[in-house]
Amino acid sequence: MTSAENRCSFCGKPAVARLTGPERRLCAAHFIEDAEARVFAAMKDECMVAPGDRVAVGLSGGKDSTALLLLLHPILPTLGATLVAVTVDEGIAGYREETLKAAEALTAELGVEHVIVTFADLFGKDLDRLLVGREAQGCTVCGVLRRRALAEGVKRVGATKLATGHNLDDEAQSVLMNVLRGDLPRLRQDTSTGQPGHFVPRIKPLAVLSEKEIVTYLLLRGYFRDLPECPYAGTALRSEVRTMLAGLEHRHPGTMLRIIRFRDGVRRSARSVEPVKALSTCRRCGELTSGEVCQVCRLLGQGG
Amino acid sequence: MQIILPDRSVRTLSRASAPIEEILLELGINPTTVIVIMNGRIVPEDVTATEGDELRIVRFSHGG
Ligand SMILES: [Zn+2]
Ligand SMILES: [Zn+2]
Repeated sequence: MTSAENRCSFCGKPAVARLTGPERRLCAAHFIEDAEARVFAAMKDECMVAPGDRVAVGLSGGKDSTALLLLLHPILPTLGATLVAVTVDEGIAGYREETLKAAEALTAELGVEHVIVTFADLFGKDLDRLLVGREAQGCTVCGVLRRRALAEGVKRVGATKLATGHNLDDEAQSVLMNVLRGDLPRLRQDTSTGQPGHFVPRIKPLAVLSEKEIVTYLLLRGYFRDLPECPYAGTALRSEVRTMLAGLEHRHPGTMLRIIRFRDGVRRSARSVEPVKALSTCRRCGELTSGEVCQVCRLLGQGG
Repeated sequence: MQIILPDRSVRTLSRASAPIEEILLELGINPTTVIVIMNGRIVPEDVTATEGDELRIVRFSHGG
């Protein structure tokens, strides 16, 4: 296709993207409209937000949560809901400073209330110090603690829902990782309902957009920044799965969406067969756990 | 045509024309992991680049 033939299916302006299902080419303005419409449709279909909700956006300052805040900011008032941003500062030198600054600049620009919770405050030490001697487990440790920190932030701001920036790629990768680990309970675990007294319902409005679509959206709206990468490089399995899925998505477009549909099907059919294993409360901190002491307390070495 | 790679290094390709997707695959880049900006404008990868075009490849998929 020549540059001259590459035209928006709706208005004939130069197209920035070609999307499938249904097949369409979109100019900058129509791409933004299309992406926003898909997110809002998903929010409606899945009843993610109700009137009176106070929605906390987990804002890391990275690309996904930036896009999430930009998208939710104009729409929540029309749904009768309010917005507050919560940032977790893990204390990762050379990485968090810049993303934190980006997060603060964005909430200031949009006029969104913003609360920052730090690992140092919650757990007594920042991540870098918690990880001394076990740096290789960085992402696993951080993931557990960040989830807790975010839940704590949500409590502090009195939010009724937690919105996170997980995109289609993240979600499809997680499904495959759970399959590869043989972890059916984790595959079935649905965090969208929450646990009264422990977790508010968690919503993922961006799960209908691929990482590529999110970056395109940010570039077109002038919010894409080349931020530093986290020094804790992620788990080995996730990076293998990411590469594999990217290859499959390229050769077989729609693969990621089909994986999500498969997961949803598994959840629906499993729900009616067998109840999810009951959770008890941690005898140290009182949060939900499948054992006697929760993962957070075990990681912090208070498990004994 | 000139290609600015994600690491900001510049490669010159001496071809009259080629679909962007083909160029990416030759460079070992999966098109779903990058966005291509041709002469300052984002374009789908099925567009053909011709002599004199400048392609900037923005990589975003490194996790996190
Ligand atoms: Zn258009
Ligand atoms: Zn505990």
